[in-house]
Amino acid sequence: MAARTWPRTLLIALLVAAVSVALDVGLSRILTDGSLRQLLMLTACNVLVAVSLNIINGMAGQFSIGHAGFVGVGAYTAAIVASQLHVKLGSQAPTLASSFIVVPIALLAAATVAGAFGFLLGLPSLRLKGDYLAIVTLGFAEIFRLLIATADVGAKDTLSQAWSNVRGPETFFHALGVSLTSLGGPQGYAGTADQGVPLYAGPFWILTIVTLMVALAWRIKFSGWGRALRALREDEIAAAAVGVDPTRYKVTSFVLAAVGAGVAGGLLAMMRDGTPTVQPDAFNFQTSFDAITMVILGGSGSVTGAVLGGIFVTLSIKAIEYGQGSSFIQDLRRHAEWLDLNALRMIVYSVLLIVLMILRPEGLLGEGELFQKKRAS
Amino acid sequence: MTLALRSVSKSFGGLRAVSDVTFEVPERSIFGLIGPNGAGKTTVFNLITGVYQFDGGTITLGGLSLAGLKPSEIARAGIARTFQNIRLFSQLTVLENLLVACELQKKAHLFSALLRTPSHFSDEAAMTKRALELLEVFSLGELADAPSTSLSYGNQRRLEIARAMMLSPKVLLLDEPAAGMNYGEAEGLKTQVRWLRDTFALTVVLVEHNMQVVMGVCEEIHVLDHGETIAQGTPDVIRNHPAVISAYLGEDDEASAGGGA
Repeated sequence: MAARTWPRTLLIALLVAAVSVALDVGLSRILTDGSLRQLLMLTACNVLVAVSLNIINGMAGQFSIGHAGFVGVGAYTAAIVASQLHVKLGSQAPTLASSFIVVPIALLAAATVAGAFGFLLGLPSLRLKGDYLAIVTLGFAEIFRLLIATADVGAKDTLSQAWSNVRGPETFFHALGVSLTSLGGPQGYAGTADQGVPLYAGPFWILTIVTLMVALAWRIKFSGWGRALRALREDEIAAAAVGVDPTRYKVTSFVLAAVGAGVAGGLLAMMRDGTPTVQPDAFNFQTSFDAITMVILGGSGSVTGAVLGGIFVTLSIKAIEYGQGSSFIQDLRRHAEWLDLNALRMIVYSVLLIVLMILRPEGLLGEGELFQKKRAS
Repeated sequence: MTLALRSVSKSFGGLRAVSDVTFEVPERSIFGLIGPNGAGKTTVFNLITGVYQFDGGTITLGGLSLAGLKPSEIARAGIARTFQNIRLFSQLTVLENLLVACELQKKAHLFSALLRTPSHFSDEAAMTKRALELLEVFSLGELADAPSTSLSYGNQRRLEIARAMMLSPKVLLLDEPAAGMNYGEAEGLKTQVRWLRDTFALTVVLVEHNMQVVMGVCEEIHVLDHGETIAQGTPDVIRNHPAVISAYLGEDDEASAGGGA
């Protein structure tokens, strides 16, 4: 069996790589509208956000409503690392060749830092269940966002000065404050010396990495490891009684989901045609909630469902933004000021979710998958 | 391997659920743990399997102390169990329910699954083969790909035992396997328990209210009341033990034959 799958996997990998290289070079010719290119890549990143959240919420059955926190940690980490490397490389305009140095390092850093936070957040999941765990995850995401958005020590000293002056707890926290302030507060982080975050991640990186991560999520689900995780979700005591250690599986699932979200955040921060700043408000509760909507719409526990949910939610957000900007709606708004589609989006989603929960409580695909293989008996 | 409890105690707040319980289950025996409702039988099971940690005493399996071990480690050490109210993985198929139970025996793990290394496939194939054989043995082979919730009550009970057997345990703890069974089914269960012991070279510990089953199949019986030992012996000794009769079977001697709990 193994011998047969390897060549096929290799073939698919090569195909994905070839298509993404072609898109990396040719996308700006096919799609001359930058916002459409941005939308395409944003959709891919959001798919990864949804697929990674699905590991905690769908497969492990934990309820995290702070996924944006992990995305944010990844975005800031990747942005800082990429900016530093960019300067070291001589601040040349990003090319596909130079991105092979910057993107892997930045994403690795983003994955590591986000994974570490995932580990920390996975620990309370051992004692907390349901709503209580949800509050912890929400708290993490909001603390992360607010720490950065409100950090301002009003100090004049630079980062290196502050850290070299550390003599005790007081100066340490001062240096920590200076570090947080250097992330740009509510205006966002715009790279070293406010030159903007270098946008190294073109379609090549975004498509290959997202495809790779989705494939890994699929493999997790259809491995013994994923099976044990689902068993744990169904009945923790029974799973432990047959040798599944809840601690290890729960914490690992949090780490894996955080790594996925961190990589997605890193890609978002460095996305070509994207904005060259990373803003804390991009990782607010709304973002976490959108991610949950993606997972639930597609079918909790389903990898392909999360992909579909990610595509649908991203496109509908953009469609609504587009509608909001159209002259027709703008004309209408002169007569009816309450007509704010962005605000109405929440109502539309709520209605959509309620209808779905009545008609199809398990989501679009339930726990099943598109193209699911049947067991050969 | 002998399962031995020595002066085991457990309190929940001010309530002494199990106090100073001592017994030894001989290897390859069928051992009954009985007592009226609230006697602490299931608590003893939960102490043996590590769901609760005991406050005092020792529990050993073939000399290995189980104190402080996690439930998953105790399962690894060779103690498998079923539950009073059946606990299956409801969203998983019958086959998958069994496969979860051998996750701990494989060499390959998460990374081999991510990379799909050859050992991942050989593990999976070997596990599936073993699980299907075991399902055949429990006459659930036809239902391998059915969702576990779609099974009848009796089949769910059998599936739970099959899943426990997937661990290749040395000791099997059965928590009220006869619950909800009629006379004929209970008779069948007696044969099955003996068959399990003989086929898999097991030690079986049985918590049961159904006296027809307990008296019929157990070689040794330990009686608890209010968390304390009141008697131990062969079915004949227990049947005529005055403390058991007054605590459990009632004053009426006839009850020993009928089985009233």
